[in-house]
Amino acid sequence: MNKKNILIILENKPGALARIVGLFHQRGYNILSLHVDAVEDTSEFSWLENDLNIQLKPNEVSKMTISTKVSDALQTQILRQINKLIDVLYADEKK
Amino acid sequence: MLMRALHEESVELIFGYPGGAALHVYDAVFRQDKIEHILVRHEQGATHAADGYARSTGKPGVVLVTSGPGATNAVTGIATAFMDSIPMVVISCQVASHLIGTDAFQETDMIGISRPIVKHSFSIEDPNDIPIVIKEAFHIAMTGRQGPVVIDIPKDMTAPDKTFNYYYPSEVSIRSYKPPVSPDDQQVQRAVDAILASKKPVLYAGGGAISSDASSELIELNKLLKAPVTNTLMGLGVYPASDEHFLGMLGMHGTYQANMAMHNADLIIAIGARFDDRITNTPSLFAPNAKIIHLDIDYSSVSKIIEANIALFGDVKNSLTKIINKLNDGLNNHDPENFIPWLNQISEWKALHGLNHDLYLDQSDNNMILPQQVVQHVYQETKGNAFVTSDVGQHQMFAAQYYHFDEPRKWINSGSMGTMGFGLPAAMGVKLAHPNEEVVCITGEGSIQMCIQELSTCLQYNLPIKIININNEALGMVKQWQDMNYGGRHSESTYQNSLPNFVELARSYGHEGIKIEKNSDLKEGLRKAFSLKEKLVFVDIYVDPSEHVYPMLVAPNGSLKDIWLGKDKKA
Repeated sequence: MNKKNILIILENKPGALARIVGLFHQRGYNILSLHVDAVEDTSEFSWLENDLNIQLKPNEVSKMTISTKVSDALQTQILRQINKLIDVLYADEKK
Repeated sequence: MLMRALHEESVELIFGYPGGAALHVYDAVFRQDKIEHILVRHEQGATHAADGYARSTGKPGVVLVTSGPGATNAVTGIATAFMDSIPMVVISCQVASHLIGTDAFQETDMIGISRPIVKHSFSIEDPNDIPIVIKEAFHIAMTGRQGPVVIDIPKDMTAPDKTFNYYYPSEVSIRSYKPPVSPDDQQVQRAVDAILASKKPVLYAGGGAISSDASSELIELNKLLKAPVTNTLMGLGVYPASDEHFLGMLGMHGTYQANMAMHNADLIIAIGARFDDRITNTPSLFAPNAKIIHLDIDYSSVSKIIEANIALFGDVKNSLTKIINKLNDGLNNHDPENFIPWLNQISEWKALHGLNHDLYLDQSDNNMILPQQVVQHVYQETKGNAFVTSDVGQHQMFAAQYYHFDEPRKWINSGSMGTMGFGLPAAMGVKLAHPNEEVVCITGEGSIQMCIQELSTCLQYNLPIKIININNEALGMVKQWQDMNYGGRHSESTYQNSLPNFVELARSYGHEGIKIEKNSDLKEGLRKAFSLKEKLVFVDIYVDPSEHVYPMLVAPNGSLKDIWLGKDKKA
């Protein structure tokens, strides 16, 4: 079991946070810490805008960092489950 | 506005039940004639009926319920659709916005309650959003890995005294939602290389192949390969059961030859199937020598339980087409002769411990009726052409084993969730979608009582379903496990002579009822039931209560080759 930090960019919509937290509980994953902020300065995510060919407006998306303890085998599964949520634009291990 | 948007989404039928928070919407239902509303007797029935409609047509099922108990009663049906990836849109009305959070009459947090069992959910905050939310909801329900979507609408969002500019988008794109469409060509080539190198392959197709409407591609692929094919409980019909290469269902109650083929395979090609625990038995003991090619539209289904060597992400219809094209391009020559020793081995397994499909020929009264004989007779009487819904338990497994499905979308059952009470309302949805087809609900006296109130709905809408009640006067599957693992202690699995007279019960709803207790009456009784074309007939058939479902995988800690073949007989 290793500690992993996951970066998630998701739509800043009501209930979006609950979907992430609910997913961790539902699938039996553990949350060590969680931080979430609305993204006011979108310049940090120009790479995501390029990847998805979209334009982000201030406070339109949230940036979430979750640290979790997880086996290597399960890590891909967690990321895929998070990415499957409709409101999630991006989820990957934080480099 | 809501009804207009639903009509633009080509919705023909809504299953629902009115109530306080839904009154505005129901007034709109009354004042239109494009969409037919089916009034059920319990909201669980509405969701299962919409589910049966969706499974049998490939179109999304639509449900309309009120707030509070209306919404919570729908939850079991939503979870059933979610676990089997069935497209459904559930509109749950809500108390007015200003009352939310005040513990108002019939208030419940439907978005919160349904969150773990929906693909996505929406809460309406502005009536102007209703059309776009409807469009997005149907888009999400129908694309990618399909599933149910809940739309929660507070009562004030549907107030008739307000007018809005109606705009319905013809297309919708959600920037955070892009399911894979077609697999990477390199992966396709790797898959074809693995197929050409294999000597002992098995095609293992599940419900995803049905959702993708990939039956014809699967058949076409196997015309080239001539490999053995097995289907999951959810996949029955996607490959024709009458084909010589079909092994029957695999898994917990799968055929001996299907499970032995999987266990001994050198290559497993999973097509819209997800290595569920009823399939793998103990994952670490699963198919020890097999390479895995996994075709799936859902990234999270691949390498979740069993690691895939080659993953083809995308609509499995497209993935299969790409494999077929590669096999036909002249550069990848497959010789079906390569598989002949393997097919011979499988034939030996089948001859050794395959299912006996001729039990129905014994029409003597030497023994009690066997549930397997009932299913075989139903198959004979319907010439294998019926839509068959089932509930959950022994009768479900017997139906899956002995009714041979040659086409997809004809076998309608709650596979993953295992919801008792599913069969009758699901049959209503199927019958409404296919009024000229024979629709049979194979059920048990336990399951049927979980949604039996829908007999009244069947009367109101004149739905001549045939209910085959395999009556063993007990919760058969529970009892079987108690026999096998709990020293025969039948804890709360029998009803001590408290069953209703089902024939009289059916008649009290205006239907017909037939009771059959003797094997020699079985064929004639069923023939009579199926001859009453205009009537719902409840056929109550008393069977041997001691009968178990076999084959059955040894669990826990067994592999696919560890199989009970009978009460005292292990493979």
